[in-house]
Amino acid sequence: MLIPVQQFLKMRDLVWAWTVRTLRARYQQSALGWFWSIVQPVATVAIFAVVFTHIVPVDTGGVPYILFSYTAVVPWTLLSTSVIDMAVSLVQNMNLVSKIYFPREALPIATLLARLVDFCISFVLLVLLVIFYRIPIAPTGLLYLPLIITIQLALILGLGIGAAAMNIFYRDVDPLLKLVIQIWFYASPILYPVSFVPENWRWLYFLNPMAGIIAGYRDVLIYNQLPGDYLLPAGIISVLILVTGYWFFKRVEFQFADIV
Amino acid sequence: MKKVISFKNVSKKYNLGLTRTSLPSVFSQWAKQIVRRDVNTSANNKQYWALRSVNFELEKGESLALVGPNGAGKSTILKLLAKITNPTSGIVEVNGQLSALIELGAGFHPDLTGRENIFLNGTILGLTYKEIQRRFDEIVNFSEVEEFIDTPVKRYSSGMTVRLGFAVASCIEPDILLVDEVLAVGDASFRQKCIERIKILLNNGTSLIFVSHDMGLVRAVCEKAIYIEHGEIQHVGISGEVIDLYNHVLEKKRIKKLAGAGDGTDTGDGGVEITKMEVFDSEGKQVHEIYGDRPIEIHIHYISYQDIGKANAIVLIYRSDGLPCCNMRTHLDQFPVALEKGRGVISIKLDPLQLFGGMYYATAWVMNAEDSDGIAHGATDLFEVKNRTLGRGAHIAVFEPKREWRHRIIPSDNPKERESDATRGNEC
Repeated sequence: MLIPVQQFLKMRDLVWAWTVRTLRARYQQSALGWFWSIVQPVATVAIFAVVFTHIVPVDTGGVPYILFSYTAVVPWTLLSTSVIDMAVSLVQNMNLVSKIYFPREALPIATLLARLVDFCISFVLLVLLVIFYRIPIAPTGLLYLPLIITIQLALILGLGIGAAAMNIFYRDVDPLLKLVIQIWFYASPILYPVSFVPENWRWLYFLNPMAGIIAGYRDVLIYNQLPGDYLLPAGIISVLILVTGYWFFKRVEFQFADIV
Repeated sequence: MKKVISFKNVSKKYNLGLTRTSLPSVFSQWAKQIVRRDVNTSANNKQYWALRSVNFELEKGESLALVGPNGAGKSTILKLLAKITNPTSGIVEVNGQLSALIELGAGFHPDLTGRENIFLNGTILGLTYKEIQRRFDEIVNFSEVEEFIDTPVKRYSSGMTVRLGFAVASCIEPDILLVDEVLAVGDASFRQKCIERIKILLNNGTSLIFVSHDMGLVRAVCEKAIYIEHGEIQHVGISGEVIDLYNHVLEKKRIKKLAGAGDGTDTGDGGVEITKMEVFDSEGKQVHEIYGDRPIEIHIHYISYQDIGKANAIVLIYRSDGLPCCNMRTHLDQFPVALEKGRGVISIKLDPLQLFGGMYYATAWVMNAEDSDGIAHGATDLFEVKNRTLGRGAHIAVFEPKREWRHRIIPSDNPKERESDATRGNEC
């Protein structure tokens, strides 16, 4: 586990330069610039709020639906956008990958970091909303926040890095991934609370690591309580995915330039 | 001396089929694998050996050129050195930090400024921010884009982009530098600057692997060279020697192509075919070496498949680089040629050609009666013209005429003229 960390320290300047490049390129010649990173989740939530407050009311446990869904949409947007971006990060830069040697994982990692910046901006808005709605927050719960974010990053990194490597061999990975993420959205507690899932099916439901992660964000940020046992399967599965993804990436990375 | 690179029995195989995967082909391949348990026979998995058992070594401070036609395996060697790809078998050893001038400006983002791109490209090549910072001024100076360093690279001319790319890549001062055909871009003065930069690196102990189709450049930069073709090393040696050999092979190929009509495969659309062309010396012996100061005879063997009637013949002599040296036409010499069905030989006897030493070849055309269209074409093998002025790099002249030198000193104080005795006649 230590070797990847050492490698990361070695390539951190490259990762940082590539992150800056990605961000600059994304917001270059765009009048609203950074603002766009919150437009997407806010617009999504606005639509949800109209539908699920007025047309099909959802029991959120007393929390305004806007806040309820935004708490889930922010981490979900981080996952969906970064995994999709990471999957194409190597294929889009094949001219580099096939000509120059550099640590290949730098590109997907930098892609994730660039999306993490968007996440931070959306997260600031989330905190403002929590304050605006005067939601009481327990400091002990907040201690769990870094853990939840770490679990989510492990999940994203494992998926994204694995998908990036697989996408070099089969370009089908990219469209397939978009489809899977679309389905995954409904399999995660974004529009609805976990309590919608029957009690005896919950164990199966929480095999979806995003279910545990989103439930964790909600408990800590809007329900003023500590996350439950569901965080354990989410953590284990996320770490397994990270290890598998990284292992697969390392196993096939020397073939990248041969495939193109 | 310390070995910085060693290739031991290195082979590299590419599976050509893998690049075009469609879902049906993937499934059919899996099915075949399950049923027949062999993948290699599948048409989808064509194999291509880019390198076969390549062995070579490079010592510290040495410069080695890889020459050979496209697809010979030169770039594969560079990729193996840069650890972009792994060998199928054999061992590639690289000791030291390696930098590659392969794709200049690869990784430049058009929307970022020159300054930002220097940092981006530098980190891709393995430098840290601090190292780039230290070399920043040097890079900017070398690239000559000071004025535009904060302008997005998309507004740069292609020359500026390449200059910046070279500046970043060459400032690393690596132990081993790979250069792949990157100097072809950019103007002459920049090219000169790049060569000087490479030479400075060489003097400082960097080892160089250089790939180029520009033999002049190879001669200027490299001590040693490897001629590689079909993935196999054909020859290793001093660069001048390898270049001569490679040029010779290229010439032979081109002439073979020219002589395509004479290889018997062409049935002769015009009803005539030149079957072979030969060069004879004055004693009537077929030769591949002639002397510039002796007469020769060229024979054109032909088959006519029908009665052609009036025709014309042309014989041209070319220097091996394609420069036409002699042009002889039957109709200009009022020599009548009439072709009947059957075989024949047209020959031309030439007085001493007085050609400069080097490689030459002759081609012939059979032309129609109006001398407007060629109806058959053939060529001789390369033949060498030998004379006293032999030497390497013979392509510096065409003729070596019969000559006589004289030297007469005009005395300033003595009105009586004296002819120098130092007159040397050269009977060519």
